[in-house]
Amino acid sequence: MWSNIKNMFTAKSSASAAKGRLHLVLAHDRSGLEGGRLQAMREEIAAVIAKYVAIDAEAVEIQIETRSRAAQLTLSTPIQPRNA
Amino acid sequence: MGRAIVVTSGKGGVGKTTVSANLGTALAQLGHSVVLIDADIGLRNLDVVMGLENRIVFHVVDAIRGKCAVQKALIKDRRMENLWLLPASQTDDKDAVTPEEMRSLVNELKQMHDFVIIDCPAGIEMGFKNAIAGADEAIVVATPEVSSIRDADRVVGLLAAADVPARLIVNRINAALVKKGDMLSQADVIEILALELLGAVPMDDQIVATTNKGVPAVLEVTTKSLAAKELQRIAKKLAGHEVEAPATSIGFFTRIGRALGLAASPA
Repeated sequence: MWSNIKNMFTAKSSASAAKGRLHLVLAHDRSGLEGGRLQAMREEIAAVIAKYVAIDAEAVEIQIETRSRAAQLTLSTPIQPRNA
Repeated sequence: MGRAIVVTSGKGGVGKTTVSANLGTALAQLGHSVVLIDADIGLRNLDVVMGLENRIVFHVVDAIRGKCAVQKALIKDRRMENLWLLPASQTDDKDAVTPEEMRSLVNELKQMHDFVIIDCPAGIEMGFKNAIAGADEAIVVATPEVSSIRDADRVVGLLAAADVPARLIVNRINAALVKKGDMLSQADVIEILALELLGAVPMDDQIVATTNKGVPAVLEVTTKSLAAKELQRIAKKLAGHEVEAPATSIGFFTRIGRALGLAASPA
């Protein structure tokens, strides 16, 4: 009973935690990209972007998401303002 | 020409064999001629779940190797007019047969029966490849747990690569836990796996009791088993009958009744 009441007030149920974790892990499973290779790809892409605009290579984020059964690769990075 | 349906899951222990036994029996109850194949060579279990373990003479490997005619390896279920079991061998390995051999065996059985239900072993190796080789369609069984869903997703990918269309059965749903937010709902599982739902089978203690006895739950005529009812509904849907929407949760009054000991509880 008490845990029920506590659950009502805590932000996330364990089911939604499971769902979130599954979405992530399946995105990686489906793409066949293991963590290490994904990070290697992130660094390579970051280096290419850095040739064109000023970015902080450490701030580049890479993410695989699934929608339905299709996986989508998203890369995002803040661009540093021009100093001149 | 019959239809061959493989029941698979990736992960073990999610209820493939129970689902196979009950769907096969329920399809036979609808008047269809059904053969159940236990494709779990080396770890056979469909025979004990069906209660036919004492009648095995030949098995699937014998049939494939020509040690006996295929018809001779089939065990007739005496409780039903038109239900047969082709048991697995207990002493061979998964590589005792090839996908081509399984395909031709299944095709032969499809000539004489409306449904060939193939109970797939756990895993995605040789046993899985053999089990799906002759299948026209697949039923993926998953329980609402992260490990089961993850493995099911691998299987869904492999089935798609093999051009076997798949539908989903979510097994052992505990409505009370779902309500509490401590179990993924069938809607969550459908969304994650992006599969068409065939049915959602509730967690049901009576399945334990019927399996103990070697009687598929759908055969217990007096049963109050919600799981058995849902499996019968799924069988109707498989056979192309019009069916109502899945019975998702135990009704409020049933729950109260059970709590007070009013409703029939498992024997």
